[in-house]
Amino acid sequence: MNIASNNEAVLAVRSATKVYATAGGDFPALREVDLRVAPGEFVTIVGRSGSGKTTLLNLLAGIDRPTSGEVWVGGTGVHALPERRLAAWRGRTVGLVFQFFQLLPTLTVAENVMLPMDFCDTVPARQRRSTAMHLLDQVGIAEQAEKLPAALSGGQQQRAAIARALANDPPVILADEPTGNLDSTTAAAVLDLFTGLARAGKAVVMVTHERDLSGYADRQVTLADGRIDTDLAVPA
Amino acid sequence: MSRPRTVKIVRDLWAARGRVTVMVLAIAVALTGVAALLVARAVITREAAAAYASTNPAAATLDVDDGVDPALLAAVRTRPGIADATTRQTVTTRVLVDGQWRRMLLFVVDPADALTIAKFRVESGSWPPTDDGLLIERAADTILRAGTGDALMVAGPDGSTTSIRVDGTVYDPALAPAAQERSGYGYLTPTALARLGFTPVADQLKITVTDRSAVDSTARDLAAWLTANGHVVHEIQAPPFQHPHQRQTNAVTALFLAFAAAALVLAAVLVAATLGGMLAAQTRQIGAMKTVGATTGQLLRMYLTATAATAVVATLLAVGPGLLAGYGLVDLVGTLLNIDIADRSLPWWVPVGIVASGVGIPVLVALVPILRAARITVRAALDDHGTGGRVGLRRTDRWLARLRGNRTTLLAVRNLTRRRGRLALTVLLLAAGGALFTAGLNSATAWRAWVDQGMDRRAYDAELQLTEPVLAEPVVAAARAVPGVTSVEAVLSVAATPADVAGRVEVQRTYPDGGHGSFTLTGIRPDTAMVRFDVRAGRWLRAGDRTAVVLNQDAASRLGNPAIGSEVGIAVDGRAGRWRVVGTVAEVGGPATAYTIPDAMTPIIAADQVNALRYRFDGTDPRAVTDRVETAVAGTGATVVATMPTTELRNAVDGHVVIFVYVLVVLAALMATVGLLGLASAMSITVIERTREYGIMQAIGATPHTIRRLVLTEGAITGIIGCLVAIAAGIPLSTMIGDLLGNLSFGLPVPLRIAPGGLGAWLLLVITGAIGATLTAAQRAARLTIRETLTYQ
Repeated sequence: MNIASNNEAVLAVRSATKVYATAGGDFPALREVDLRVAPGEFVTIVGRSGSGKTTLLNLLAGIDRPTSGEVWVGGTGVHALPERRLAAWRGRTVGLVFQFFQLLPTLTVAENVMLPMDFCDTVPARQRRSTAMHLLDQVGIAEQAEKLPAALSGGQQQRAAIARALANDPPVILADEPTGNLDSTTAAAVLDLFTGLARAGKAVVMVTHERDLSGYADRQVTLADGRIDTDLAVPA
Repeated sequence: MSRPRTVKIVRDLWAARGRVTVMVLAIAVALTGVAALLVARAVITREAAAAYASTNPAAATLDVDDGVDPALLAAVRTRPGIADATTRQTVTTRVLVDGQWRRMLLFVVDPADALTIAKFRVESGSWPPTDDGLLIERAADTILRAGTGDALMVAGPDGSTTSIRVDGTVYDPALAPAAQERSGYGYLTPTALARLGFTPVADQLKITVTDRSAVDSTARDLAAWLTANGHVVHEIQAPPFQHPHQRQTNAVTALFLAFAAAALVLAAVLVAATLGGMLAAQTRQIGAMKTVGATTGQLLRMYLTATAATAVVATLLAVGPGLLAGYGLVDLVGTLLNIDIADRSLPWWVPVGIVASGVGIPVLVALVPILRAARITVRAALDDHGTGGRVGLRRTDRWLARLRGNRTTLLAVRNLTRRRGRLALTVLLLAAGGALFTAGLNSATAWRAWVDQGMDRRAYDAELQLTEPVLAEPVVAAARAVPGVTSVEAVLSVAATPADVAGRVEVQRTYPDGGHGSFTLTGIRPDTAMVRFDVRAGRWLRAGDRTAVVLNQDAASRLGNPAIGSEVGIAVDGRAGRWRVVGTVAEVGGPATAYTIPDAMTPIIAADQVNALRYRFDGTDPRAVTDRVETAVAGTGATVVATMPTTELRNAVDGHVVIFVYVLVVLAALMATVGLLGLASAMSITVIERTREYGIMQAIGATPHTIRRLVLTEGAITGIIGCLVAIAAGIPLSTMIGDLLGNLSFGLPVPLRIAPGGLGAWLLLVITGAIGATLTAAQRAARLTIRETLTYQ
């Protein structure tokens, strides 16, 4: 079953296939996958280990390229984007959140959030700190701004990572198991943040092991053996 | 406000301050060497050339037997190609210093001489000196042990001594320093010379030419014109237009500079290895930065700026000591060469070279790991767990997997190949340090062994030289009768000139000191017991070899390295003879010499004439024996120039070069230290990178002891590989240094000699160093708890 969004898609995957060459021969991680995500949608991708979840997310983020097929994000054909333009495109278009946060340990939380603005030059230098503070305030950790990541709890670090993902105000947020390393209360708070982002108009795609995301996500795409098994609306 | 990426780099450098300090120190120390040698080389080579040129040395000196009168001199000045001309006379005699005879060169200059050619600068007193006085070269005071106002006891032609007062000193940078030549230099008028018993004859015609590229032909044409006008020109001397020691100075400073540059490259490799490790530990951070929009170019600039900043700090640290050491070296070499450093300024390329090498070389070398790190794909960066993504897939991994034996050792071996680039850099560091270390020691050993061997071939204890040939029998008998003298052999050595076979007098390259660039023809018994020649090609002399010569390497080189069996022309007193080359020999110490049998000399010098005695003696007081021999020989009516004990010859040979070998060893020890620092740095990075893996190992039962042993084994194996490569690379390097030192001093390469002590010392140093360098890292690895390691990002 496949739910097609009625809105114009900000993310579109067309017949994407990804084959990895391994020592044991070619391994198809994704097979002919089609997916569209509209702005304001919160889509979760679930499936067993090796079903292709992270591969799909990597294609959306331009971290990997499809062996065949196309990936369109915000009108850009990511599959055809030259490597030298990918990083800048990614910085402006996609906010990435990881399971292990991936904050830079020698930068304070505020500096971590300012880093994408610095690399992409999206916000004038004088406004970067206030923008970062505003984002940190939005995720509820403004008071932690001047601390180094190691001084923060897991949940606080993940909030900082989300603030960083929002630094350049990208239309798309991609998250890979963002709650995998958090306790259930903290995880719920993080999911609330994602829901809020979707409500604010961002397309949010989250790879997760959590099965029950009712009340948070709009759609749940289930992958099995590299194919979309189900694409269902999540009951409110 | 600083940009976050700048803040990150600054904090990263601060977090790794230990390793950054090692990097800065390594560059600073090596760059100090580079800066010092650049300064020294630039100033010394320029000033030596300028000092030599300031004397307006004669382009050529023609020995005109009957002397040159003012009318002839005036006529010479009008000859084509002649810019200026003057006449001089040089007399070789000896002087008594503290009861010992020393060689003394007297340069006779007419008071009317305008001193436009072969100038010297009067430093104290005035020119001309009084009729019973002379001026001495300022650097000869240590040889003569005399200053202004002192009296010198100078030997006359008949052996009697006359006192002459030192009226002052001159500075004559055209001559090799007196101390190095073991000779005194005096400047006096013909009248003063006559007072010493010599006949003043202005027999040296010194000319400068209008076209310096045509010195030889102009001098030859003049010689031909003089000969056609009834004069006898028996020698033309046209030394190269440079200080007698300029070539050696250039070569030695170039060698040192090459070593210092090698040290700098080594330091740069250390920077690259350390930086590579720091970047490897930051792989996931690089991935994270790329996910938030960092481009490869931005990352490249970030890390290159960090490297450049490190290098700039090191350069700033090195400039002061480098200039200080450089000018110190300038003054030292200036004193050694007896030249005034008139201009201490640096040419533009010296500061540019210092900054370019101090900043440029580390940045260039660091570009390799930085490029690799900056180019990594986000996926590879985020997947990085410090285990090396392709490990297990490569052919060598599969091959290593088949090895059997101790599991910890096997694991250490397999771990080593995981970061091949780092392994290569660490091995390169250790190998380069080791190669230079062993090469330095090998060169020192080879040099000593070679000089020992060369000197051992001289079986005589002393050589006594006479002013002119005398009948052999009385002087040999007189020497033999001296108690303690066990055997005596007579030798006849005459100054000669390479000539072409047609008999035309070739131009000599002899300097005014008479030693540098000289060429002799020596008659020696074929069955001589005094010298065991090292025949390199052909054969040694045989009785009856009346037209045969055996050439030493310098003579062979001066005659254009003729083939065995070919004919060469050698002129004595302007008369060319044809000689067949039957062999070449290697000789350590001594001028370019063509050896022949005494009988073959009879067309040149009357039969049974000799002008040198070589003898052996017993006894504990060599000085007493040589004094007695001199007295005995003088008693026959012969005039002794000097006695050269073989030990003093050895000291003179050794003193000039062995210091360079020791400097090389010091430089090498420095580089060895850099190499070991590199290993320590590499091992600490390895441990940081594998923190997680050690946790996994401990979780499945590895004890801290196992982890420690694993890291130590890895360090030791790296050390051994580095050592083996060092030994292999040290051999060609030793050969290169040996060739250079040997060719510079005697025109012969020093044969390779391995210093077993050097290899042993290096092996011990590396193994101890490797264990020491790895121990800290190993202890750190062993102390980590499982929880720490598994949560490590």
